[in-house]
Amino acid sequence: MLFSSVTFLYAFLPATLLVYFLVPQRTDSPKGRNHVLLGAGMVFYAWGGFWYLVILAAQIVAAWGFGLALERLRGRWGFKTVFVASVGVALSTLLCYKYTDFFIDNLNALFGSDLPALKLLLPLGISFYTFQILSYLIDLYRGTIAVQRNLGTFATYVSLFPQLIAGPIIRYADISEALTSRTHSIEDFAAGARRFVIGLAKKVILANTMGKLAATLGNTEHSSTLAAWGYLIAFALQIYFDFSAYSDMAIGLGRIFGFRFKENFNYPYIAVSITDFWRRWHISLSSWFRDYVYFPLGGSRVPIRRICLNLLLVWSLTGFWHGAAWNFIAWGGYFAVILIIEKFLLSGTLEKLPNWLTRCYTWLIVLIGWVFFDAGSLGGALETLGALFGANGVGADPTAWYHVESYALVLVMASIGATPLPTKAGKWLAERYPKFAAVAEPVVLIGLLVLCTAFLVNSTFNPFIYFRF
Amino acid sequence: MTNLRAIASTVAFALVLAGGGLVQLFAQTPDMLRSERRQLAAMPALSSLVDQGWMEGFEDFVADRFPGRDGFRALKAFTVLKAFRQSDLDGLYLADGHAGKFEPVNVASATRMAEKIKIVAAGLESQRLYYAIVPDKSYYTSRNFPGYDRLLVHQLLSERLSDLTEIDLTQALNLDAYYSTDLHWDQSRITPVVAALGEAMGFDASYTQTLQSLTAGSFSGVYASQLALPLLPDVMTYLTSASIDQSTANYLNPQTGLFEPAPIYQLDLFEQLDPYNLYMAGSQPLIVLENPAATTERELVLFRDSFGSALAPLLLPAYRKITVIDLRYLHIELLDQYLQVPPAADVLFVYSSQILNNSDTLMVPIR
Repeated sequence: MLFSSVTFLYAFLPATLLVYFLVPQRTDSPKGRNHVLLGAGMVFYAWGGFWYLVILAAQIVAAWGFGLALERLRGRWGFKTVFVASVGVALSTLLCYKYTDFFIDNLNALFGSDLPALKLLLPLGISFYTFQILSYLIDLYRGTIAVQRNLGTFATYVSLFPQLIAGPIIRYADISEALTSRTHSIEDFAAGARRFVIGLAKKVILANTMGKLAATLGNTEHSSTLAAWGYLIAFALQIYFDFSAYSDMAIGLGRIFGFRFKENFNYPYIAVSITDFWRRWHISLSSWFRDYVYFPLGGSRVPIRRICLNLLLVWSLTGFWHGAAWNFIAWGGYFAVILIIEKFLLSGTLEKLPNWLTRCYTWLIVLIGWVFFDAGSLGGALETLGALFGANGVGADPTAWYHVESYALVLVMASIGATPLPTKAGKWLAERYPKFAAVAEPVVLIGLLVLCTAFLVNSTFNPFIYFRF
Repeated sequence: MTNLRAIASTVAFALVLAGGGLVQLFAQTPDMLRSERRQLAAMPALSSLVDQGWMEGFEDFVADRFPGRDGFRALKAFTVLKAFRQSDLDGLYLADGHAGKFEPVNVASATRMAEKIKIVAAGLESQRLYYAIVPDKSYYTSRNFPGYDRLLVHQLLSERLSDLTEIDLTQALNLDAYYSTDLHWDQSRITPVVAALGEAMGFDASYTQTLQSLTAGSFSGVYASQLALPLLPDVMTYLTSASIDQSTANYLNPQTGLFEPAPIYQLDLFEQLDPYNLYMAGSQPLIVLENPAATTERELVLFRDSFGSALAPLLLPAYRKITVIDLRYLHIELLDQYLQVPPAADVLFVYSSQILNNSDTLMVPIR
């Protein structure tokens, strides 16, 4: 079930909210409300497939059990073994469902064998919840969190429907307190609702519209240079609004239910370097890899050659997390190389340059990166790169002109929407004219909800890019 | 003030969600949505829970039956076309007082179309073979939509259909020849098409000047339905003459294999879901039109789509017999069963650019 669906908005969400808030609030123990969230999470997840629910449930029970075992064995023989086993079990499901066919295909290509692909359907959000489970197990191993003895509470953490299938990756440490004791307020509800509706509008109105443009321009063989750039910019905006919108909706829903999730995006397209970009884009994933892979490998406190290797490994893994294909690994590797160059060669230069120039530099690098990300294969990525730089010999074609012109206003709106300007303007208005804001905000929320509904009831195009991860 | 704002926002959010949910729960919606000319999704059977089809079916059901669906669709179209100033909404546009939909030429489909016409033509004895493509109306709008491309179509078809004579209709039509809310041409404005066909096929089309125009009523066409915007309706007229009035039409009943007589213009169908069915009852596999008052022995075999429904009656004064065939509803293997084409007969393929782009709908397998 998508957040951006009529079913979610007008059936699942109101029903869940009603039941949740009907359960009496007990600040010291929100078990009753946790059970509502757990039930809602299960229904939400099963909507995509009952079998997926079985896998999720098995993962939850296994991780919970391993957690208890780790707690019991701390400082004793078998502690590390159980930890390795717990990580192995969590990862094996992900590897099995997401990566088996990739390895089979490559083995076949390498050795000329004919092993059949398994073609397993990827359980929704498996990459996200596996990483949540791993963060719990690793933090438990490190002794930075306390074990969760209650299976229901642990299951509520993993299956919290606001972030279950598309993140952000919430670490247990960040919400463990709220799981056992949290408060609700009208201010939190309103702030959550506002965030959710803004996210919904970003997704339904901007991301989907940009997605259509990207699909139209990216679908032509032998694209003109204009079509290739139009596609790429539209895709860059689509993926940003798609994913950041989902994070907005998740954070907003979390807040309605009394949780404070960390931010997952911080206007990445105003970044002044790639290093800065990755501090602003999918923060929960990059910080996960930083804390659980990069730092344990030695981080930046090792010799330069080792740092470079660490960066290559971490970013290749980041790419591989996104998809079991070489283009994703190339995408990650590409950023590793850029980050290494920035770290050792460009950092001083970039700091001296004006922001507009470093932003253009960052944009260009990120855009080229999206070519690898969105291509079905490495060959496809190279074809698009060729089109971008005129290899097809056509500068602009009338069809591309037509579409770019047609979408011009939305492109401008989306470009402005990707900067902090709208948020700043909203805050300024609210502070300067509080009475006006008290009236305007609910009106805007209703207007956006109605408009989103209008886009959804007759929608034939409502993809969500990050679901495939 | 902050608290007031929070209360107002919370109430607004809750009202819309709960309101939408409750209205949806209790509102009665029709099974057929006339404005979209289709059956709305029904609540899926519980048995489909086994294969997960229930969830998908339920999502369709909820979206289809959402209260005020037409209003929401109109809001979306207005937002996209007016507020966002996009030139089209999924190809649907408003231009020069017309609602329309452009579709770029599908090269693969057009190529297959040529192959299919070639296969059909090869099975006929006639040497007088013609084809004509009806451009979609975006071809005539002042805005250059990336739709019908006359040169490309000519290039794709003429190379492959060298045994047939191409009749260019682009000069015989203009934007006003089409209904402003529908994809079809307006029968009362296509007499230049008949003249162009007459010139190419060798018949005198001067009779078109004396045809009488009768009004069936006003209607909103398929593009008005798809856009859901309040557009001025079209007026549907039909042309007739003594010669057409005296002509007979026999429709093949595909269930029985027998021919059944019925009027050429079926006015009772105008009030039904697709008013264009007034012309020879819309989707019909095979119709035999005969004009006993004809002053000629000429015969025509017309392979056509829905555009041909309005065209065929206008050709009656020039032929004694016209066999009208829609290969979307009649498999080519059944042709011999119902059709004997004299060598002297004219054979004309008239297809719209929409069919050119969807040639798989023609039941002519390509070997």
